[in-house]
Amino acid sequence: MKNNQMQSSKLLKLIVLSLLGTISMLLMFVNFPVLPAFAYLTIDFSDVPALLAALLFSPVAGVIVQVFKNLLHLLVGGGEPVGVTANFLAGTMFVLPVSILYHRFKGVKSLIAGLVTSTIVMAIGMGILNYYLILPAYSLFMGMSDMAIPSVKWTIVTAGILPFNVIKGIVIALLFIPLFTKLRPWFEQKRATIS
Amino acid sequence: MNNAFIIGQYVPGESLIHRLDPRTKIMIIFFFVIFVFFANSAASYGLLTAFSIISAIVTRIKLSYIFKGLTPVWFLIVFTFFLHLIVTREGEVLFEVLSFPIYSGAVIQGSEISLRFFLLILVTSLLTLTTSPIEITDAIESLLHPLKRIKFPVHELALMMSISLRFIPTLMQETEKISKAQASRGVDFKTGPIKDRVQAIVPLLVPLFVSAFKRAEELAMAMEARGYQGGEGRTKLRELRIVNRDRYTALLFILIIIGLFLTRS
Repeated sequence: MKNNQMQSSKLLKLIVLSLLGTISMLLMFVNFPVLPAFAYLTIDFSDVPALLAALLFSPVAGVIVQVFKNLLHLLVGGGEPVGVTANFLAGTMFVLPVSILYHRFKGVKSLIAGLVTSTIVMAIGMGILNYYLILPAYSLFMGMSDMAIPSVKWTIVTAGILPFNVIKGIVIALLFIPLFTKLRPWFEQKRATIS
Repeated sequence: MNNAFIIGQYVPGESLIHRLDPRTKIMIIFFFVIFVFFANSAASYGLLTAFSIISAIVTRIKLSYIFKGLTPVWFLIVFTFFLHLIVTREGEVLFEVLSFPIYSGAVIQGSEISLRFFLLILVTSLLTLTTSPIEITDAIESLLHPLKRIKFPVHELALMMSISLRFIPTLMQETEKISKAQASRGVDFKTGPIKDRVQAIVPLLVPLFVSAFKRAEELAMAMEARGYQGGEGRTKLRELRIVNRDRYTALLFILIIIGLFLTRS
């Protein structure tokens, strides 16, 4: 009997994560640019379901939702490999710090502190990754050699990537905090039944 | 978010492409995506374009339907092209638009990259158009099977993929329903400053998450009532089998790739 219960909660977890992945992918299509000069950097709310999974289950669950979101996005024909990888890396860097902090300290305060940490980690991490990895990959993929010149890369990172990720973090946090406070009672009850 | 997207919208059919083993299709597309980047001459691009267009015709799905599904990507393709016109300064000046010079290299590079994008998206969408989500996940499970040795949860991954794909249309409808319900209560999603629009998403997401959980519970219950116990010892209704048409298609594709390398400049 006990074994059955385990199986059931594991299966339910798998299904919940799949559905959150699907919602996350659908939310990717509702996006808007923030910096006029970098129209291709768009904010969407696809990180919200991943955050929810990470806080409800574990940090790894959040990463799994990010994996599925991007896999589905690729499969559905909405993205190209480099953008999808970049999105996955950004999402992972955003989800991990906040969920690790939240699971250690609990409470809304740690959530806010976590979201601030996450934003900083994502902005700096994406800055570094863009400089060394993503921009060179793009310049190869799109055939634009200009993008691989250090000074150009530096401008893109400091004027585009860094402010963009800070704004993105803030916008998602501003959406997520009221959402989370509304969902919290329900959320605690689910956590008790599932894990 | 509207139904113009071909999101996981499989069109059933009996064409050759439909009947190919999904593993054959996935492998061909995998290599196609890699080899598209090797094309660099008009002839090599022509070869790949011919391959993609002929494959699209062979599916017997209306071309207008296929292209309609690519609408979200058209923008990206056109954007890339114009970006190249503005940024690239190679070759000679062809003509000037409002005293802004357009270089021949820009036109060539821009169309090359746009064509490459187009081919990638077209061929990958052919997979989802002619292969049901269940076939795709079966194929992925089968292709990843060797990874089981290193304890990679192949079966769970395949299960999650098929559930995700299956629920794309359902959750899309759900989102639409909720946003209409909330709009009728006076939530404004479309106008106002960004801050208000962001706030308007909260009443959309809360019911969406709650209903997703409800669906998950129902599905888990239904699966267990039918005796689901994980991947161990599970049998399949449809077994995948490689037959002659898969071998011939693979051979044809290999010939095309050889042709690609012969026509490269």
